[in-house]
Amino acid sequence: MDPLSLGAIVAFSTILVLFSGISVAAGLLVVSAGFLIVFDGASSLNLMPEVFFGKLDNFALLSIPMFIIMGAAIASTRAGADLYEALERWLTRVPGGLVISNLGACALFSAMSGSSPATCAAIGKMGIPEMRKRGYPDSVAAGSIAAGGTLGILIPPSVTMIVYGIATETSIGRLFLAGVLPGLLLVALFMAWSIYSTARSSDGSALIPTSYSWAQRFEILPRVLPFLAIILGVLYAMYGGIATPSETAAVGALLCLVIAMVIYSMWSPVAIWAVLRDSTRESVMILFIIGAAGVFSYMLSSLFITQSIAEWIGGMDVNRWVLMGMINLFLLIAGFFLPPVAVILMAAPILLPIITTAGFDPIWFAVVLTINMEIGLISPPVGLNLYVINGIAPDIKLKTILVGSLPYVGCMVVAIILLCLFPGIATWLPDMIMGAEL
Amino acid sequence: MSGSSPAHTPAPHGGNPVLLAIGFISKLSGIAAALLIVISIGVTCQMIFIRFVLNGSTVWQTEGVTYMMVAATMLGLPYVQYLRGHVNVDLLPLLLPEFMRKGLALVVLLVTIAVVALMFWHGYHFWHEAWDWGETSNTPWNPKLWVPYLALPLGFGLYLLQLVADLIAVVFRVEEPFGLEPGATLADSVTEAAE
Amino acid sequence: AELRVSHQWSEGDVRHKVAQMVADEVAAADVDLTLQIFPSQSLFKAREQYKPLARGQVDAIILPLSYAGGLRNAYNLTLMPGLVKNHDHAARLNESPFMDEIEAIMAEDDIMVLVHGYLAGGFAGKDACIVAPEDVQGKQMRAAGKSFEQMLAGAGASIASMSSAEIYNAMQTGVLDAANTSSSSFVSYRIYEQVACFTPAGDYALWFMYQPMLMNKSVFDGLTEEQQTALMDAAAKAEAFYLEQAKAEDGEARQVFADNGVEIAEMTEEQFNAWREIAQETAYKAFLEGSPDGQRLLDLALSVE
Ligand code: NA
Ligand code: NA
Repeated sequence: MDPLSLGAIVAFSTILVLFSGISVAAGLLVVSAGFLIVFDGASSLNLMPEVFFGKLDNFALLSIPMFIIMGAAIASTRAGADLYEALERWLTRVPGGLVISNLGACALFSAMSGSSPATCAAIGKMGIPEMRKRGYPDSVAAGSIAAGGTLGILIPPSVTMIVYGIATETSIGRLFLAGVLPGLLLVALFMAWSIYSTARSSDGSALIPTSYSWAQRFEILPRVLPFLAIILGVLYAMYGGIATPSETAAVGALLCLVIAMVIYSMWSPVAIWAVLRDSTRESVMILFIIGAAGVFSYMLSSLFITQSIAEWIGGMDVNRWVLMGMINLFLLIAGFFLPPVAVILMAAPILLPIITTAGFDPIWFAVVLTINMEIGLISPPVGLNLYVINGIAPDIKLKTILVGSLPYVGCMVVAIILLCLFPGIATWLPDMIMGAEL
Repeated sequence: MSGSSPAHTPAPHGGNPVLLAIGFISKLSGIAAALLIVISIGVTCQMIFIRFVLNGSTVWQTEGVTYMMVAATMLGLPYVQYLRGHVNVDLLPLLLPEFMRKGLALVVLLVTIAVVALMFWHGYHFWHEAWDWGETSNTPWNPKLWVPYLALPLGFGLYLLQLVADLIAVVFRVEEPFGLEPGATLADSVTEAAE
Repeated sequence: AELRVSHQWSEGDVRHKVAQMVADEVAAADVDLTLQIFPSQSLFKAREQYKPLARGQVDAIILPLSYAGGLRNAYNLTLMPGLVKNHDHAARLNESPFMDEIEAIMAEDDIMVLVHGYLAGGFAGKDACIVAPEDVQGKQMRAAGKSFEQMLAGAGASIASMSSAEIYNAMQTGVLDAANTSSSSFVSYRIYEQVACFTPAGDYALWFMYQPMLMNKSVFDGLTEEQQTALMDAAAKAEAFYLEQAKAEDGEARQVFADNGVEIAEMTEEQFNAWREIAQETAYKAFLEGSPDGQRLLDLALSVE
């Protein structure tokens, strides 16, 4: 059988197996084992644990649990509320100050957390009730936080960027920098939509800023200092010659745990264990997918499917932007169903040669891919952030959350289009700080 | 209908002592995994301190931490299964009528058990081969590789145990198939609480 | 028949070209034999190819043999500081009784050599030249290979372990002061943008690494006589090309660094001997501790003129 038809059969089987309700990692192992038995013989199965171990045998993976712990530790304190409150007290003259503060807090929190749900939960816990109390429509209150939370994987540090860097052997330090400006662009788009939507749907009274005295403004400042300390500490360690990005993650985790314990008095073993348990749970889930996806991509490569698909698409005579559009559509659909890490690990080995041949920058592509994954996080059926919001504010109907998130998906599509028109949004910062690309 | 919901619903045991015992082992395994992650933070920070402040050699830390992360992943597998934390897409289960759901759940569990047993079996041989050869990592630290490789049979073995417990739970109706409410459908799940 | 060849480098690398040359020559011989190359670790990770080759799960690989030194201690001799003096010496080593012994060990694992080849490397310093042992005192260094790490530590350097892909970043941020790796890695990772001084492989070079193309012996024996001949003829051509390219790469690295305004330093015979003395106390000693047969093999290697 030629590798392309074989590829189609593998793709179909994978979809079928993954939709059965089996866990994603086990499903990938099942599909791999099945095709290896049939096409490489049963004796090739003994390679599976070897390849699995080989995938996990990578120091850079350390940063995944570390960046998750950073977010989880801070999210377990009232720090998120402090953050948006401080922002709001200082943004007195800005209409819609509260939703802007919440989105700003999401962006800042994203600079400390490598994953999206933690960002969502940390800011949303206090932010959503507060916005509703002040008369913001439920759709904006829920949608803005769901969307703001997705910044966790775009603004550095980011677990998906680490996984992309490992899968494609691109510099993680460079990928992190590439996410900064697109992250800020998204925040600006989210803010613009939130204000517009609020002004349109209510009488606009929600947008009237509350005024605060200077005493109130200064009083809250010390409470955001820990954030600045963490962000500056991590940045200094990463770009200041102290440690590599993977090592820096451990410094960040330590800082966040210590600050949560010392400043926010998270002393009880129950509270500390809750942070560790949640982080372990999310990390192991991701790492298991990484190992299993390693076995899956070994199978694809061994059956010569990866190479054939890349050759086939490379040989198609289509406009590179049509190609990019098709890739985006594929990523979008995959992102609807699968967690970002699984999509990246399965797609990157196949897509990377295609996009570099078509003349696209892999660093720029990482940003486009990440925004696609962000859309998946706030769209059905597997929109992780939607369920986080549902957990925070159970009385907002899931339908309202869904409808409220939709315009933010639009913002992300606009951001992708802007990135295609102006690739420099992603590549300028890494090029400036780290020199032109290798 | 997200597989990985933020809420934690540990595997129910329904008072069954076997399920209780296996759940307890999985929990212990999870605590070990969490401790390994915490120790990795310490070791990495120690390495940065030695290198940056003392300008000393850091020979074993990178390698040691890498093996600790593999071990944490493997030991975490049974615990995350126990917490129902392995992300899945339960599209088909929600489309199926309730009576077929249990059948699918059994098939899915049996297939998972089969592939994890496969990983356990070959993982054991992978470990044994390194033990037999006296294989080392060939770095200046040069540890015997059977030590980190041990995580594979151990982790997959404990994972297997928890999966068997889950199979028992579905067979004896201690837990609903896929942890879904008996009446749950796809429409409910998407527009849950919509009206 | 179809043979699967695995290696860790990109398609621009000399080692890929060696595999490609064997593939092309065999194809031209028209003996119903094709080589399917899996570059860039697309099948196995670099260090995880030896066992699959021994089991016949991949038919051929190009491997820095010292990567398998944790399985067969003798392989560590194929990356020992100062054991090989220059490329012509390396070529003579390939034909020596020493290499016969190494090949005998491979044969125990059902592995044979198709193409012999050594590649050389040098040192690069962020602020100062690395030529003599005293130059590395108190520096944070990254070295390629256990024996080099042991030697540098013996000379007073601090060792930070990382992959060659991380050198650029680590030098830029200041985590590393100096590094040792192959000439081709120095160029492909553009280390010349980060360093003040480069010590290329010259008349006296410390770092030579044996990176042959290996094949599963049973698979080879299973080929027809015609196919075997075609394969060996192709391998002989590729070996000559490999040696020529290995020499050219050193010159090219020297040129690229110089063109980018990096100071070029030369190692003298005296400095070479000083390094080797330290290596004898550290890397050689550690090697001998791990192997009862080590001294005999080392003597065999040292006896090659
Ligand atoms: Na982030
Ligand atoms: Na989704």
